[in-house]
Amino acid sequence: MARSAAPDMKTSSPSTIVTANDVTKVYQRGSEPGRLARVLGRSEPPTVSAVDSASLDISNEEIVGLAGPSGSGKSTLLHILAGLERPTEGSVLFQETDLATLSKRNRTRHRLKHIGIIFQQFHLLDSLSARANVALPLVELGIGKQQRRRQATELLERVGLGDRITHRPGELSGGEQQRVAIARALITDPDLVVADEPTGELDTDTGRTILQAFKEVAENRAVVLASHDHETLEICDRLIQLRDGTVTNRLKQESSSDEDS
Amino acid sequence: MKIRKLLIRWLGLVSVGIRRTASRATYTAKQRIRFSVLGVAIVIALLVMVTSLGVGLATSTTVYDEDIDYWIVPDTNSPESPLIATDNPQFSSVHETNNRIREHEEVESATPVLSQVLQMGTNETKEYILVVGIINTPELDRVSGLGSSPLTPNDPYYANGEYKGEWTGNTVLSQSAAETLSVSSGDPISVAGNNSFTVTAVDNQSRSVGNVPTALVQLSELQSLTGSTTYDQAEQFVVGTNSPTVQSDLQEIYPDSSVRSRGEMTASNTRDSDLSLALALTAFLVSLSIGLLFVVTTSGLEIVADRQQLAILSAMGISTKSQLKLVGVQTIVMTGVGGLLGAVSGLVGIRLMNIAATRTITTEPIAVSHPLFVGYGISVALLIGLLSLPFLLVAARRVSGGVP
Repeated sequence: MARSAAPDMKTSSPSTIVTANDVTKVYQRGSEPGRLARVLGRSEPPTVSAVDSASLDISNEEIVGLAGPSGSGKSTLLHILAGLERPTEGSVLFQETDLATLSKRNRTRHRLKHIGIIFQQFHLLDSLSARANVALPLVELGIGKQQRRRQATELLERVGLGDRITHRPGELSGGEQQRVAIARALITDPDLVVADEPTGELDTDTGRTILQAFKEVAENRAVVLASHDHETLEICDRLIQLRDGTVTNRLKQESSSDEDS
Repeated sequence: MKIRKLLIRWLGLVSVGIRRTASRATYTAKQRIRFSVLGVAIVIALLVMVTSLGVGLATSTTVYDEDIDYWIVPDTNSPESPLIATDNPQFSSVHETNNRIREHEEVESATPVLSQVLQMGTNETKEYILVVGIINTPELDRVSGLGSSPLTPNDPYYANGEYKGEWTGNTVLSQSAAETLSVSSGDPISVAGNNSFTVTAVDNQSRSVGNVPTALVQLSELQSLTGSTTYDQAEQFVVGTNSPTVQSDLQEIYPDSSVRSRGEMTASNTRDSDLSLALALTAFLVSLSIGLLFVVTTSGLEIVADRQQLAILSAMGISTKSQLKLVGVQTIVMTGVGGLLGAVSGLVGIRLMNIAATRTITTEPIAVSHPLFVGYGISVALLIGLLSLPFLLVAARRVSGGVP
C-alpha cells in the first residue's frame, strides 16, 4: 500500500506532522443550569477531565501507539489530534495550523484534506457499496466520477477487496469492512491516519492482517493507533502510555523499529 | 474551474443521495423509507381523487357531447356584457343568430342552449329537473347527454320572429328523470306548471355526467315558460364542425363572447365553478398541510435516527453544507417517488370510484380522469418536499457533527 498510488506526492523526509502542547479536555456531566435552575439553587454540573495536560509530537512515517486502560483518555486524545474535538486548553499544531483555533467548518475541511480516520466499529455507510464508501470523500473534493471510481477501485484492490467493490457493508465480514475503512481513510492521501481500536472488533487472524495493512499505510505518513491490545501496539514505533488522562510513560519500541529497518 | 468543481460536487451528491435513498428503500431501511413514501403517496392519491371529483362537478353542468366542438359563451366579466344580465349574462336574438351560424359552410350543426332547473311532474309526482332548451336539427345528435332526434326539428313554436308557431310540447327525458318522475314515453307531463308537454321519448342511453335528471325541450317553449322571450335569450351556443378555422368566424358573432374548444371549456368551467374550485383548493391546501406535517415528522425522525451516519460523514470531512444537500436530495427523491406513486394510484382510485358510483348511485362517471393529474400530483409532492426542507435542514444541522 505504497503512497505512490495517491494523487499528491508529499515529502518523504521525516518531519513533525502534529504537535500537542499541554492539551486538556474537560467534559461536563449534564447540561448547564438555566436561569430558573440557578434561582432554584441548581449548581453547575460536575466536570470530568478526560485528558490532562498531554503533550506529544508525531512525525512523518512513524506509527505511534496510545496505550492505556479503558477510560484513560486514549480515544479523546486521538479525536483531538484528528480535529474531531477541540481541546479545552492547550494547542494542537498540525503542520503549523492550530486546530484548537479553527472553526468547525475549517476543521471538517482540514480532516478532508489531511486526516484519515479509522474507527473500531468501521462506521461505513451501510446503504452505499464498498467503492461508493471509499470514493465519498472525493465527491467533497469535487473530483469527477470516472476518477473517483478508478481511485477507489485501485485502493480496494490494494487492500485485497478487488472482487468486493460492489458489495454493501452488510455483505462484508468484519475484516473486510475494516479494510474498506482503511481504503476510505487513505483515499484523500492524508498526512495523518488515526485509528481507534482498529482490531477491537476482529478475530486474532483478521486483526493481524489488518495490522500488516497498517504498517504499509505508514509509508510517507504518520499513523496514531489507540488500543489497549498488546499485539496491536507491537507494530508501533513509539508508545505513549496514558492513565486517567495523563501521559505516564513514553516508550521507544526497539524491536518494532528493528523490524522496520 | 471552481464552478466545474462545484458542479461535479453537486452531481456527485445528487448521485449519492439517489443511490442512498434507493438502497435504503430496498435494503437497509426498507420499512422506514417505504412508510414515508407511502404516506406521501396516500396524500397525493387523495388530492388527485378529490380534485377529479371537483372537475367532474364543474363539467357536469356543461352541455358536453362528442359531436360538439365549440362553445360560444358570454364573457361573464366584461363590463359591456351582451347581453341580457339575469343571474348570468345571456345572448339575445339567438334564433336569428343560430340561423347565421348554420349558414357557415364548415358548420355541421349548431344550437343555442338555455337551461333551467324547473319543477316537472305529473299529478302524483313533482320533482326539480334540469330542463335544457335547444333548436333541434337532423345533424344535431346529442345535447346534454340526451339524443335530440325525437324533438321536432327547427323549433316550430318560434316562427317569423314571433312566438306564435306550432306548440309541440316535445320532451325527451333522461332515464334518471323518467325514473324520478315515474313516467314513460307518451305520458303527459307538466313543466313549470304548464300541462301541455308530453314525454316524447325516454333516452336509455343518456350520458349526463353525475346522472343529473335532465329533460330536453324546444328552446322557444322553454323561453316562454321562463320569460326569456323578450330578447330571445339563451346562455350559450354549441357548434359541431370538423374545421378548426370556424373558431375565428364564430368569435365575430357576438362582441363580448368567448369561443372555446373542448379543452378550453373544461379548464374554464373548472376555473369558473366556485364549488369545484373551492373543492380543489381545499384538497390542495389540506394535502399540502398533511403532507408537510407527515414529511417533516417522518423525515425529521429519520434524520435523528441517522445522526450517526451524519457524524461519520462529518468525520470523513464532508462539510455540513454537503450533508444538508444530501438530506435535501433524499427528501426530494422520496417525495417525488411518493408523488408519482400517489398520482398513479389516484388515477386508479378515480377509476374505482367511477365504477363504484355507476354501479350504485349513478349511471355516469362522477369524477374526471386526466393524465395531467400525474404531473399535478408530482408537482404538489415536490412542493411538499421543498417546503419541508427548511425544517429538515435545521434538524440535520443540529444533529450533524461530533464523534460517531
